[in-house]
Amino acid sequence: MTNFTFSAISELQPNLWWLSIPFIIVLFLALRAVNQSIKNSVLKSLTNHVFLSISIIALLLVNLNLPYTQFASHSKLLSWLLEPAIVALALPLYQQFTHVRKNLLLIVATCSLGIVNATVVAFLLSILFNAPAQLSASVAALSVTTPISLIVTDSLGGISSLAAALVIFIGLLGALFGFMLFKLANIFNHESQGVAMGTACHAIGTAAAIAEHPKVGAYSSVAMALSALLTAIIVPLLYPFLVNILL
Amino acid sequence: MKYLLSSAIILLCLALAKLIMHFIGGSFPAPLLAMVILLALLLSGIVKEQHVKPCASPILNIMPIFFIPAGVGFIEHLGLIKSHWAFLASVVVLVPITTLLLVSSVIAYFKGRENND
Repeated sequence: MTNFTFSAISELQPNLWWLSIPFIIVLFLALRAVNQSIKNSVLKSLTNHVFLSISIIALLLVNLNLPYTQFASHSKLLSWLLEPAIVALALPLYQQFTHVRKNLLLIVATCSLGIVNATVVAFLLSILFNAPAQLSASVAALSVTTPISLIVTDSLGGISSLAAALVIFIGLLGALFGFMLFKLANIFNHESQGVAMGTACHAIGTAAAIAEHPKVGAYSSVAMALSALLTAIIVPLLYPFLVNILL
Repeated sequence: MKYLLSSAIILLCLALAKLIMHFIGGSFPAPLLAMVILLALLLSGIVKEQHVKPCASPILNIMPIFFIPAGVGFIEHLGLIKSHWAFLASVVVLVPITTLLLVSSVIAYFKGRENND
């Protein structure tokens, strides 16, 4: 009887292989094609393909009551490829470096300042809200592109998947409201807007910056690449330091 | 052949970084160290852009596919997210606002607020 029940349950739990790698690839490519065909910049940010892919898969898993662990083990190959992909980020970083040699000092300095600010603000909020250590580590590296955030958060002992979701939300908010904020603050300089967008709102913000003006987009791309490198250097040192002096 | 060379460079950097982290210990992520190593090789001219490009470009083009599985993992922590939603919401709002304002104002201080180009 017990055996029968077990086999019945395992038959009811469908094998998830189709929902992992094939589904992720098809969904992502389809949503990206849709996103790329949209011209309106607000609509483009709202239909961001990374945001939609993650939301759709999360909704499916939760609503169909499918275990995440099974989904994760089926898509292990993709997660494994994230490591060489991060190494490959050195290429855009190198390409951007050659563009900004003359402005490099100011951009590196402000970009670092932005990253320190993001980590400190998140840390102060975690003290204010009395958040558990695991959550406070999860919000330490949010001012950077998702793969770097994942891996830095992991090394700090935070929940990397939560950090990834927050990073994407921050990118969306920046893309939607960032330029309104610049208007309110009376800042119209292309370099100011671009570097701020790239530092704070990474790829999603950069896409909005490119739509705003090509020059703003160029500065945003530079800042996004730099903030990947600078976050990797600054946050693993800064966060333990903050924990030591403030907790 | 060019794909082989390109993937070999990337994987060698990764392997070297893992080896270094294994010996010095600590929690610094090895892929990030590998990225810095590859950047140093590119900047010093030891590795040329066209050597890395054949594999790096397609990988970067579909990069989000590699972190979508990890990103979905937040559904394992829905309880924690629910009980700290106010904290998380204020982080998501205040971190980008303060960072955007700080970075743009500092550059505007040096370069002016208006468009000068």
